Amino acid sequence: MTELLRVPHTMTLAWRYGTSWYFAEFIRALRDERRLLGLRCPACRRVYLPPRPVCGNCYAELREWVEVKDSGTIRAFTIVHTPIIDPTSGQLRPTPYGMALIQLDGADTTLNHYLAENDPSQLQIGMRVQAVWRKERSGMLSDIVHFVAMNNEQ
Amino acid sequence: MRRVAVIGTGQTKHAKARDDATQSELVRQATTRALADAGITIHEVDAIVLSNMELFEGRALPEMWVGEGAGGYRKPVMKIATGGTSGTSACIAGYHQCASGLFDIVLVVGWEKHSEGATQTGMALTDPLWDRNVASGAVGNFALSISQYVAARGVTPQQAAKVAVKARRNATRNPYAHLQIDGITVEQVLQSRMLADPVHLLDMCPQSDGACAVIYAVEDRAKKFCPRPSWVRAAVTRHDQPYIGDLDRRLVTMRTLRDAAREAYQRVGITEPLREIDVAEIYEPVSYAELAWYEALGFCAEGEAGRLIDDGVTEMNGELPVNPSGGVLSTNPVGASGVLRVAEAAMQVMGRAGDHQVPDVRLALATGYGVYAWSDVIILSAD
Repeated sequence: MTELLRVPHTMTLAWRYGTSWYFAEFIRALRDERRLLGLRCPACRRVYLPPRPVCGNCYAELREWVEVKDSGTIRAFTIVHTPIIDPTSGQLRPTPYGMALIQLDGADTTLNHYLAENDPSQLQIGMRVQAVWRKERSGMLSDIVHFVAMNNEQ
Repeated sequence: MRRVAVIGTGQTKHAKARDDATQSELVRQATTRALADAGITIHEVDAIVLSNMELFEGRALPEMWVGEGAGGYRKPVMKIATGGTSGTSACIAGYHQCASGLFDIVLVVGWEKHSEGATQTGMALTDPLWDRNVASGAVGNFALSISQYVAARGVTPQQAAKVAVKARRNATRNPYAHLQIDGITVEQVLQSRMLADPVHLLDMCPQSDGACAVIYAVEDRAKKFCPRPSWVRAAVTRHDQPYIGDLDRRLVTMRTLRDAAREAYQRVGITEPLREIDVAEIYEPVSYAELAWYEALGFCAEGEAGRLIDDGVTEMNGELPVNPSGGVLSTNPVGASGVLRVAEAAMQVMGRAGDHQVPDVRLALATGYGVYAWSDVIILSAD
């Protein structure tokens, strides 16, 4: 029988994603003022981060900007040991690293982001954390390097 | 709505890499077996619904390249892609096509060849403005939700490992299942590589190559072709918010699965699911999720899922066997995984499940789970 083969393909692809007004404003405040902005639902009063034009629960249009702090509370956490492809670079992300769902002060949703800590025994749900920012900001969520426990703050 | 039944199912051998078959050939194998099981030819099929997550293989328009494997020439063909729920969503769409009177016989085929691409590449193509900066893949995201579930319910790694062992033990009686791990133990699961705390390698589903097909027929055709059809009694689907951070403790609350199950049970008249349902094929991508689904599906009260697995209630010889096929934890070609749940539930009702047949099945449940929290619930019965 003929030997079975695999035909390899590797591609480099490029996209340009539009932000609309709501994400453009979020990026502007993040990049220029180091501020995090959420949008509040006029009906249920929920503050959404990431900002979006509509509340999925109420289907109400969101227009009211609310400042959200860069400190918050851990609502879920894990230490990731298996490498995944970093979508922003295409490279495997070094492991292990801490991940958490963080409820930022002033937001009703949680933010999934990195933790400086990667020892699970040092983490618990309810812990207070603070964002560590990059010196040069580019207007990406990755302008926040990771979050650190507030009692370890310098 | 007309009464509709599953009259035939077919699947391929699932494996880590099926280099011996192209996507189209896998689809043809599953289709041919389902047609033979139903005792019909492709000429009796009025329409076809396909299920596949094409980003995983990087081949656009699979309904065109792969459609001929399903016998799609000059027939109405459509494709559904909704992440993990793709297969159950396709089964629900196929059911609607029959029940509505649009078509009399509908073929549903789902497939995936994870070996052809990096599944993570597909997962990495998430929402570009927000999610990509902080994506941690299916394992990391599940692990986050599991930390909340463990905190709320106090389930242990041992209880989760028992789910993983049950699935793989059942899979050894299913010749089509991908993972075949003889004599797997709880210790083996707990000692396997840590992927993301507290999820070990053996707590997680594999990535498989494979295909599965289901054939529906309306009442008069079903009775003509099949001695014991598997009647569709309810088919319910629910979607939810886009970002993981939008959901309030996803695995704890699981509002989509609770809503879908409640509506499906109401339609069938089920009030005590654990006692009334004879077998369940549920979409459990990770061991802990199966425990969370027990609660959301009403198999037990909140906080009782650990006891259910400890007491063996969901084992093959328990009151409600869950995933006799070995489940998603043993076989996971994503586009086919939901079709497999429906096919395996139907096989149980039809008495065609071979070595993993549960005796005297009259009522079977199948579920789908996708993305952060989308759910499908399908109930099949012997009458």
